[in-house]
Amino acid sequence: MQDQHPDSRVILIAERSQSVRDLQSYFLNQAGFTVEFVDDGEAALERALAIRPLLVVTEILIPKIDGLALSRRLQENPATRDIPVLVFSILAAGARASEAGAKLFLRKPLVESVFLSAVQQLIAAHPIGALEEQWASK
Amino acid sequence: MGVEIIPDRRVSSRREVDDNTERMSAGNPEADHILGGGFPSNSINIIMGHPGSGKTIFAEQLIFHNASDDRPILYFTTLSEPLEKVVRYLQGFGFFDETKLGTQVIYEDVGPQLAKEGAGALIPLLHAAIKTLSPKVIVIDSFKAVHDLAPSAAERRRMVYEMTALLTAYGTTAFLLGEYTEEDILLYPEFAVADGIVELSRRRLGNRDERYFRVYKLRGSRYLEGAHAFRITSSGLDVYPRLVSPRMPEGYEPATERISTGIQGLDEMLDGGLWRGTTTLLAGPSGAGKTTIGLQFALEGARCGEPTLYMNFQENPTQLIRTIRALGGDPEQAQAHGLDLVYASPVELQIDSIIVDMFRRIQQRGVRRLVIDALGDLASAATDPQRLHDYLYALVQHFAVSTITSVLNFETTGNTIAGHGMQNAMSYLSDNVVLLTVDGEERTRRKLRVLKTRGSAHDSRVREFAISAAGVSILE
Repeated sequence: MQDQHPDSRVILIAERSQSVRDLQSYFLNQAGFTVEFVDDGEAALERALAIRPLLVVTEILIPKIDGLALSRRLQENPATRDIPVLVFSILAAGARASEAGAKLFLRKPLVESVFLSAVQQLIAAHPIGALEEQWASK
Repeated sequence: MGVEIIPDRRVSSRREVDDNTERMSAGNPEADHILGGGFPSNSINIIMGHPGSGKTIFAEQLIFHNASDDRPILYFTTLSEPLEKVVRYLQGFGFFDETKLGTQVIYEDVGPQLAKEGAGALIPLLHAAIKTLSPKVIVIDSFKAVHDLAPSAAERRRMVYEMTALLTAYGTTAFLLGEYTEEDILLYPEFAVADGIVELSRRRLGNRDERYFRVYKLRGSRYLEGAHAFRITSSGLDVYPRLVSPRMPEGYEPATERISTGIQGLDEMLDGGLWRGTTTLLAGPSGAGKTTIGLQFALEGARCGEPTLYMNFQENPTQLIRTIRALGGDPEQAQAHGLDLVYASPVELQIDSIIVDMFRRIQQRGVRRLVIDALGDLASAATDPQRLHDYLYALVQHFAVSTITSVLNFETTGNTIAGHGMQNAMSYLSDNVVLLTVDGEERTRRKLRVLKTRGSAHDSRVREFAISAAGVSILE
């Protein structure tokens, strides 16, 4: 059962650092997005299924399910595989993020212009529902 | 078409190595050299030193160098100096660019707000600045002044923790300036979180000051350890990286070519001249003929078209030119053929600046021959005997690796080589040692003796020599 988010421009972020959250929230809100934060990978999976965000942004170092496993699990589930994943981490893990199915890897710290540009590009390139529409048309 | 993943081709194993830290130039090539290429981008750095040590000038040189249109640089002045004062004195420096003020470089005086609301006000000020300006560099001058406003150690720690969390989350390079002392490194929490710590210090020496630049810590960087001299000029900080010994190539082979000293009889005593790339210590008392023999060696270099450097600490170029003429030489022609006569006052300069200037000239001109007249003067420019010894050792090694043939003059107090600590050290470091003596009552009799040649036979007899308009000649 999907608990569709009332705002269709929601981005789901798995991040524990309050300082990073504050900056992500501020810059994404300024750009017209709504942000929902979760503390761990399990909650991220649950909320991704429930609200179908435009994008999942995740740190690798999060509890329960790490960011890379989260990306894999989202890709494996047909209900969430069209949600693009941006791995935004303190770790140098571009290759591993790619292997885990993430569409983009960015290394922390946050630089407003780089972060926003990546988010906007990903959302433009992976409109949610595009896969379902493709399947429906076949 | 999907968005491509940013490729990371460095390592495919589980652990990916982060070996390409971006660097931010200090706006000063020599400081960058010491820092291993500059400060790591997105780092937190402390620039410490007593009032007047050059912290603000160093920071301002850095910010004006890095200022550009993409993201501004933010300079918070706190409770140490009012903004008007900072900017007023800034205008006297060559790096200052008024057109960047207010757009690329933004000064903000947060002193009044901090004084009113306390140290905790810094964090919301930083938050607001990051959100509205997106600064790529943040300077807080002085951070220690903010720190001292906090009412308790717990408050200070909390403030430093919150600031660090914010500055780490956001992509900016921060510089915290402060009048810290070495003891503060163990006491103040900001030192534990800093990625880089640079100290600027000043030591009074007679009528002049010696200033030193030292890196205490720079995470992820191979920096040059030790104290590096600097001066403050209208261009900012003029830094002289400490000379360190070059790495000797494993297959290092000394040159096998002999070169003339410019004195036929001396060449014969040396079994055909000096091996190229060797260092010769020319020791003797005042008036024994060291400068004359050194000049003869330098003039021979110019005659052969070899770029030659004559570093002198006693006679200025006008006096040297007169001496060259007295030896029958043509100074203008010699200079046109590559002779560089350089005078430096050892009283006014530190050994570091003299050595750095010498190496710049060596590199710029591809110097093949060099005379230092005299080592004792260089010693007077060095306040630390160990520093002098390290410098001389490194110098000789550099000359050997670069196959620069050098003559180092050294003034003894009598006709003997024994008894001088530095001379003993130099005898050990030098490939060749020639001792000059002077005596005689009715007429001056100058003599020389080759005490040592490395890798060569030599005539070890004491030989008298004469100085005339034809130059130096060894008498039978």
